Amino acid sequence: MQTLAQVLLFAGVAVIVASSWAALWLRGPLVRLHYLSPVTTIGAPLIGVSVVIASGWSLSTGLVLLTVLLLAASGPAMTIALARVIAQREGIAPGESHE
Amino acid sequence: MSLSTAWYLASVILLLGAMGPALLLSSRRGPTDRLIGVSLGGSVAVLVGLLLSQAYGESSYLIVPFVLAVLALTGVLVYTRLLGPR
Repeated sequence: MQTLAQVLLFAGVAVIVASSWAALWLRGPLVRLHYLSPVTTIGAPLIGVSVVIASGWSLSTGLVLLTVLLLAASGPAMTIALARVIAQREGIAPGESHE
Repeated sequence: MSLSTAWYLASVILLLGAMGPALLLSSRRGPTDRLIGVSLGGSVAVLVGLLLSQAYGESSYLIVPFVLAVLALTGVLVYTRLLGPR
């Protein structure tokens, strides 16, 4: 079980590190935006599952899972909000009227 | 490798390998690129907090990444509202 936890932990870390460098390396904010998603939807859940496997079920493990779920749920919302503002600033999408 | 060492190692790798690019991204180029860096840095900081809490074996520290996860989302949404269309 300890080995499985470590494998999941370092798999999650590898996904996050690769996504971060890809986001830094690639050009253009809309292209960069694609590399935010793996951090919250793949990397974070992998780390959360590894904590659950290593520590077993407890109240603190529940808080870890809640945090990871919050991160996974908020990731797409952040990406959508960022994509909208980038599209508005680049003239792809119309800006909203402030009435 | 013991699990405690693995938590420490993973948090150091995340700090150097993921927080580094996030800080670089948030300090260069245009405002939207910087906001992407801030968003990435927030997510990575939450995960580093989780891992350090596991490494120290202090479950009370878990409140920090939990609150940060809420505030990171709120902060990015506020910044997107402030940036708006040019």
